[in-house]
Amino acid sequence: MNGLLRGNAWIFRGLLDIDYEICSFTLSRDLHNSTPEALGKHCMTNVDPDFPKKVRKGDFIVAEENMGYGHDHFHGCMSILGAGVGAVLCESAAPYFLRNSLELGLPVIELPGVVAAVEQGDPLEVDLIRGTFRNLRSQAGLSFTPPPGFILEMLEAGGIYPLLTRMAGEGRLPKR
Amino acid sequence: MGKTITEKILARAAGKTEVIPGDYVTVRSRCPVIFGHHSFDMVRDRGLSLITKLGVKIFDPAKVIIVDGHGGSSSGGNIAEVRWLAQKWARDMGVPPENLFNLGRGGIENMMSAEHIWPLPGEAFFQGCNGHLSTVGALGAFPCALAHGAGAYLMKGSTWIRVPKSVKIVLKGRMPEKGVYARDIFEFVLSRIGPTGGMGGVLEWTGEAVNRMSMDERFSLCSSAIFTGAWTAIMNPDDRTIDYVKSRTRERFDLLKSDPDARYVAVHEFDVSNVEPLVVPPPKRHIIKTVTELKGIKLNRGFIGSDSGGWFEHMQVAAKILKGRKIPCDVILNITPGTVEILSRMLETDMLKTFVEAGCVVPDPNEGQEVGMNTLLAAGEVCIASAQTNYPGRMGSHQADIYLANPATVAASCLEGRIADPRSYL
Repeated sequence: MNGLLRGNAWIFRGLLDIDYEICSFTLSRDLHNSTPEALGKHCMTNVDPDFPKKVRKGDFIVAEENMGYGHDHFHGCMSILGAGVGAVLCESAAPYFLRNSLELGLPVIELPGVVAAVEQGDPLEVDLIRGTFRNLRSQAGLSFTPPPGFILEMLEAGGIYPLLTRMAGEGRLPKR
Repeated sequence: MGKTITEKILARAAGKTEVIPGDYVTVRSRCPVIFGHHSFDMVRDRGLSLITKLGVKIFDPAKVIIVDGHGGSSSGGNIAEVRWLAQKWARDMGVPPENLFNLGRGGIENMMSAEHIWPLPGEAFFQGCNGHLSTVGALGAFPCALAHGAGAYLMKGSTWIRVPKSVKIVLKGRMPEKGVYARDIFEFVLSRIGPTGGMGGVLEWTGEAVNRMSMDERFSLCSSAIFTGAWTAIMNPDDRTIDYVKSRTRERFDLLKSDPDARYVAVHEFDVSNVEPLVVPPPKRHIIKTVTELKGIKLNRGFIGSDSGGWFEHMQVAAKILKGRKIPCDVILNITPGTVEILSRMLETDMLKTFVEAGCVVPDPNEGQEVGMNTLLAAGEVCIASAQTNYPGRMGSHQADIYLANPATVAASCLEGRIADPRSYL
């Protein structure tokens, strides 16, 4: 894994509830096939109705404190992935949002100071392995503790289940 | 250096002598892992179908429990299919039939976990999806939902945990005797520490006001931790906890408590003597008002239930207010006991008679309206609920308004057809 992510910033302010601002929870029941692709069309639309059309693959969501507020529902993480977002950079992340995202293969970096270091649309670069952030417009930089190896492995595989599928293929999980 | 109860439980579950916040550890649990049907539905297309596809074993079929918890008999949608699939999946995996708590034996699964003592004090405890599993932290256990990773836990019999820091909340003083409940105390604390006050950590509830609380109220207090930004909640077991546990299981346990010199990322002390009945108006979960400020707002729907307000004592207070009275014809009040045990205890009283004569609807035990699975709200309706969440669409239409309040406030408000102060009824 080279761990280098590049994309432009989409800043969202205020408390973003996993079940409303990020993606209406009711959709996970209403859409009979709640794949990342299907949910991605509704990502952040309660805040910015055109976001799924405007965001480009690999772009970053930049958020304030407690990103993914509230429940342990992971449909919201799937919607962010499905919209094509490459990573979430936030002042802090709700614990269940963080855990679900990482296990879905979506990097979420808690990066205090990121909101002040970024303006809407700025080109950003994040190195997950070195733990560095750079705003390529302003050259402002921040650093963070890189995720441990097993999380990097999970992110590289595209989530915990692709990783377990690989492990099963290698005979590392007991057969029924 | 002293340790918190959370650090001690996680060290034990990880097989380590000690852990510190920020450590990544692999945790195993002796406890069963539980799935409500609702969470089974959410994870089945993720991890659970993969288990079938890969043909791998689950770590211990006898430690999987599936509860008909969120739908109840009156919910629609795909619940019939989910029930059937859950049974079939359990059979295929070798889960013993007695581990299925189907309709008639079910209830809100985190409440049932407390009643059945599925986690013993001192243990780590996992569930499929349910951010309110923090409820059972009141037993002195560390509860955590696995959510997307639930299938991975079943395959490996373990999960990764980043040891959280702890936020200590000390509740001093004596709660007012009339009209104020644990959920008001939670909202009061939320209004003070804000939605990031517990950020990433565990809320450890302590203090004389906690010591005086019944187990029902302690569970209610622990159930809403996520709205402070916390991961989960916990309490140090005392004699009341031990009596509750021993009256329900013969299993031996080795409880743990925080050391007096344990390290906390923050310690907040609050005097609860003057807390008023509080109401959370729509649509934000963390903006809190007093009942006095919102008194008079018209409504036509009510809901008393959920892991926050659907315990036996909450049924008692609703009955006290509704006894001999009738709600207006244009109001619908849904009163849902959280579990079969609660319903069974209600049958030993005249509560059901009171509710029926007052014109309320009493569904079978489940989460129900709380999660928009029965008695949905239509556009334009205004509801007051002893539930957990008020974001648009939670109970049906995005154009319905949900106010959150304690069960007494809900009962009093439904009698008046507008938000009312329950203290004049008690």
